Amino acid sequence: MQPLANITPLKPAGAIEVRNVGQIFKTTTQDVVALEDVSLDVKPGRFVVLVGPSGCGKSTLLMMIAGLRQQTSGTITISGAPIPEPDPNRVGVVFQEASLFPWLTAEENVEFPLALRGVTKNDRRARAQDALQLVGLDGFGKRHPHELSGGMKQRVSIARGLVQDPPVLLMDEPFAALDEQTRMTMGDELLRIWAATGKTVVFVTHSLTEAVYLADEVIVMSPRPGRIVDHLQVSLPRPRTYEMLSGDAFGSLRDRIWRHIRKSA
Amino acid sequence: MQSGLAVKAARVAIVVALFAIWEILSRTGIVNPRLLPSASDTLSTLGELLQRASVRKDLTVTATEVVTAFALAVPVGALIGFLIAENRYFAEVAKPLLFFAFSIPKSIFLPMFILVFGVGFSQKVGFGFFSTIFIVIISTTTAVESVKVEHLTVARSYGATPVQTAFRVYLPSMLPVLLEALRISMIFNLTGVILAEMYASRDGIGHQIATWGENFQMKQLLAGVVMIAAIAIAFNELVRWVETRCSHWRT
Repeated sequence: MQPLANITPLKPAGAIEVRNVGQIFKTTTQDVVALEDVSLDVKPGRFVVLVGPSGCGKSTLLMMIAGLRQQTSGTITISGAPIPEPDPNRVGVVFQEASLFPWLTAEENVEFPLALRGVTKNDRRARAQDALQLVGLDGFGKRHPHELSGGMKQRVSIARGLVQDPPVLLMDEPFAALDEQTRMTMGDELLRIWAATGKTVVFVTHSLTEAVYLADEVIVMSPRPGRIVDHLQVSLPRPRTYEMLSGDAFGSLRDRIWRHIRKSA
Repeated sequence: MQSGLAVKAARVAIVVALFAIWEILSRTGIVNPRLLPSASDTLSTLGELLQRASVRKDLTVTATEVVTAFALAVPVGALIGFLIAENRYFAEVAKPLLFFAFSIPKSIFLPMFILVFGVGFSQKVGFGFFSTIFIVIISTTTAVESVKVEHLTVARSYGATPVQTAFRVYLPSMLPVLLEALRISMIFNLTGVILAEMYASRDGIGHQIATWGENFQMKQLLAGVVMIAAIAIAFNELVRWVETRCSHWRT
């Protein structure tokens, strides 16, 4: 007899399921509906980008998937289980630029999640080295954040998000503070890291070009109340190249997103 | 830095020049040497005073009072400051009141401390505590506010417990501001204790300085001033040294 056969198979690691999720912010004067009836399926290993104008609740949705904020209604599961609080074994989060601890070196920043769980120093260091190598920062471990460029800081952030090897990586406008060239380079770097690790990535951005360039799927959201207004499949071949940016396929996808956003802005 | 050495040399030169001017003014009689004994006389008096058992006892008394007042005011003030800063409602209510209290010169309360505590150890410690605690509270609220929300979110997203968040995020974020607060608090504390000693006391170095002044013992008086100045500067520099080591990441 196969004892496992009777157990409902879990969702594969890295699958994200968002079902009829709503979020209401209560203020003293009124209730603000930040998100309304949002449903979304992300298959393991997919690169999904959330775009939309300011105030559409895309970052709020990401924070809920991270377990940092609880939805008012609906359910969210990651790898088949709900996420009532942050779970670094299932989800790594990469924030905007200022999120590294300035008093720690790059490798200590990457070790931070491991240190919280009491991983031994040697083990921590080894895993931080691997993560830094993966993001192309070999040899920069001893530097403090103020000694690193904006792009390098975000590489450290990504390494910190990956150091516990969670199946899901959530990224909240990670390149928003970078200059245009660095942003392009970091996009390519992220795609390389993603291809090498096979993580499920949910990426929030304001930039339509960045969205189409990076994504397998783009989710377009409208503001107040935040809703999903379109869900595009980006079928451009990988690896993505700079030349694709000027192609017709790329342009028509970006135009389609822009039409949604212009309508709601 | 290339000019570092030159800057240090210039600093030393200024101090030496001040002592030289002091010496010359007194020696040449431009300033009456009875009012301003020469620097060399003052320093030799200082050496002599430090040999005296009674002066050492006064120093010990003052040091005990200062350390006790400091050891009470810093943790109590830090705790109050932390509680105020962590609660938005408290912060809104209490902050202006704290600034009111802080702006009042503490010396006007000294007679009350004498009436309540009598003349003695507790009066000095009480007044030192009172002189120090407001700046500790205010600095601690500033220190708590220097903790970045982003850093707290990062800690939470990686599953930090409250204790881990306190030690790994709050403490290192606050450390530079806290050390600075410690330094400035000590200035207030020292001023409070010595003022209390000068006003009404039977012992302590502040009492001695007041007595020397009243008896027109200028050499001793100036030696006392140099002594306390040296102690205060030494403490200040020690904390500043720790500060620079702990806050190299602040740019």
